[in-house]
Amino acid sequence: MTMTSVEGSAAPMRVSAHARKGGLKAHERRVGRLFLLPALAAFTLVILFPFLRALAVAFTRSDLQTPEPIFVGLANFRAILATPEIIGAFVTTAVYVGLATAGTVVLGLGWALILNQSFRGRAVLRAVTLIPWVLPSTVTAFVWGWIFNSRFGVLNAALVGVGAIPYPTAWLSTTGGAMTAVVITKIWFSIPLFMSFFLAGLQSLDREQIDAARVDGAGNFALLRDHILPHLRPVLLVVIVLGVIGNLQHFDTIFALTGGGPVRATSVLSIEVYRRAFDQWDLGMASALGLLWVATIMPAAYFYLRHLLKGA
Amino acid sequence: MVSVVLSGVRKSFGTVEILKGIDLTVEDGEFAVFVGPSGCGKSTLLRMICGLDEVTSGTVAIGGEVVNDVPPAQRGIAMVFQSYALYPHMTVAENMGYSLRLAGVDKAEIRSRVATSAAVLRLDKLLDRKPRELSGGQRQRVAIGRAIVRDPRLFLFDEPLSNLDAALRVDMRAEIASLKARLGSTMIYVTHDQIEAMTLADKIVVMNAGRIEQVGSPLDLYRMPANRFVAGFIGSPRMNVVAAVVGPDGRPVLAGGAVFPVRTDLAPGTRIDVGIRAEHLSPAENGDEGTLSGAVRVVEHLGSDVFVHLAVEGAAYPVIVRIGGERQVRAGDLFRVTPEPSSIHVFDAAGLRVPTRSPARSAA
Ligand SMILES: Nc1ncnc2c1ncn2[C@@H]1O[C@H](COP(=O)(O)OP(=O)(O)OP(=O)(O)O)[C@@H](O)[C@H]1O
Ligand SMILES: [Mg+2]
Repeated sequence: MTMTSVEGSAAPMRVSAHARKGGLKAHERRVGRLFLLPALAAFTLVILFPFLRALAVAFTRSDLQTPEPIFVGLANFRAILATPEIIGAFVTTAVYVGLATAGTVVLGLGWALILNQSFRGRAVLRAVTLIPWVLPSTVTAFVWGWIFNSRFGVLNAALVGVGAIPYPTAWLSTTGGAMTAVVITKIWFSIPLFMSFFLAGLQSLDREQIDAARVDGAGNFALLRDHILPHLRPVLLVVIVLGVIGNLQHFDTIFALTGGGPVRATSVLSIEVYRRAFDQWDLGMASALGLLWVATIMPAAYFYLRHLLKGA
Repeated sequence: MVSVVLSGVRKSFGTVEILKGIDLTVEDGEFAVFVGPSGCGKSTLLRMICGLDEVTSGTVAIGGEVVNDVPPAQRGIAMVFQSYALYPHMTVAENMGYSLRLAGVDKAEIRSRVATSAAVLRLDKLLDRKPRELSGGQRQRVAIGRAIVRDPRLFLFDEPLSNLDAALRVDMRAEIASLKARLGSTMIYVTHDQIEAMTLADKIVVMNAGRIEQVGSPLDLYRMPANRFVAGFIGSPRMNVVAAVVGPDGRPVLAGGAVFPVRTDLAPGTRIDVGIRAEHLSPAENGDEGTLSGAVRVVEHLGSDVFVHLAVEGAAYPVIVRIGGERQVRAGDLFRVTPEPSSIHVFDAAGLRVPTRSPARSAA
């Protein structure tokens, strides 16, 4: 928009002399590339090299019994496909990612809709909403661990108090309860960020458009369906993709809360890889699993990057 | 087609009172125009008639029924917003048919009603476009089309033409005038534009700081402004207002000594303001009754007219005079003008209009 107005106006654009003559001179370009070196070095050292290492290790047998890695081709991948627990981890991951992402999107949007109304204390509530975001994830896990605690937990106290359940339940020891707990914890942790995205989107919604829709006869549901959601579509897309990526990678609160248990009920891929690598020291399997895991993230990351680059 | 009656309407946002008691009747089929300076509460009043904002106290009646608690959609109203407020992700046809769709009208009927309105507004070729693919004038027509599709009892317009360029504004003004003639619905129209107000209105409502200053036909307001505010607000350029004192014979005397050819019944020595419009001052010969003279400060050529700004002795601001386009005047010249006696307005210290008589008749 600024570009067109600048071009449209008579005032000449102020640009550097070099740029006007069609770009930088050759030696300047060489100097320019030098500036990229530190970032490139860091990238190679921290990302590219470990990635290539992992890639290589994935095709080897590399555990405590084999001092020198042995090339085994696709054996690790075949082993993975033949191990029901690992297939189970993919399913668990899908359930976890699906529930956590859907929950965050729905609740984040709902919360943003509430905080977008005008009422007394709104500013305070908006600030309070950001707290989960600034808490370290171990603290979050600790807090929720206490909430779900079977003997001293607030949840049990409340539910028993109102008579919803007859006696305290060991939430984290049942498979359904543990999954619910890790999902709720992640949702709680992610809501502030997602809510901020939605709130920013809502604030760019034209107030007169909503007024016009109300005059046209739209109730709250029609407003949401016909105006708010279509307006938020781009935000929704980004939020879902980011949510999927984030939840696919998520590790810390699950590890701290349940360690993947009980009976692998919350053993998502990140936990599985960790366990293969650092409990069993089977680096070949861990790397192969890691590669598969990265492959599941790729499509989401691709959509997100494409969206970002197109937007820029 | 309905009447609108506002009684004692007040509106506060928090502790700030924005509308301070509005009483107004807009008759069935009337075209009422709200004018007033920015921030005086015109949009707020319109939104309350529409039902988008609640009144703090007082009643809004449409068609004889108090609608304070009736939601906007059930008031039988259509509103055209300043920003057009088109739905960006819907096509023109969907925009226009949206209210019918919500009301559960069947698809074929919606299509035919949209087509009829679109034909009236020359939108038929644009029905499949999205708002962002339209020009400003086309968007404006869609906004109006969306309003007429619903066949409302009452139209509300909030500065509908203010985002258009001057030429388009003239076209759209004509379009709204023809809409008014064809539909015969009651319409309330907010504008900043003098010409829109004067040409479209059956009734102009002049507002200032949350109150109504005067209600009347365009000519009434032009000829008989009830107070100094309305005098200054209606008419372009602004009416010249100069401070004066009532002389011994009842005629206003300017500080510079000029005497105006009207008489009031105020006591001699009373401080007053005298108002005279640029078009009611004409070039005078030396020695004429009630001439004002001064040096020409600025000459504005508008083609058909020339406006001359005179520095008249005793007047705080330059006095603006309209003269024919063929006359040659240069800055620095001494210029004399004489006011048309029947078009002189006198306002008292509170700014209210004071009746005047012509001095000749009182002498007889
Ligand atoms: N929602 C609101 N909360 C608080 N104050 C408001 C609100 N809406 C309007 N106001 C105030 O009410 C006053 C009147 O506003 P309004 O929009 O009715 O003015 P207006 O006459 O339409 O002005 P304009 O010609 O600039 O459109 C303004 O001082 C404005 O700041
Ligand atoms: Mg306004």
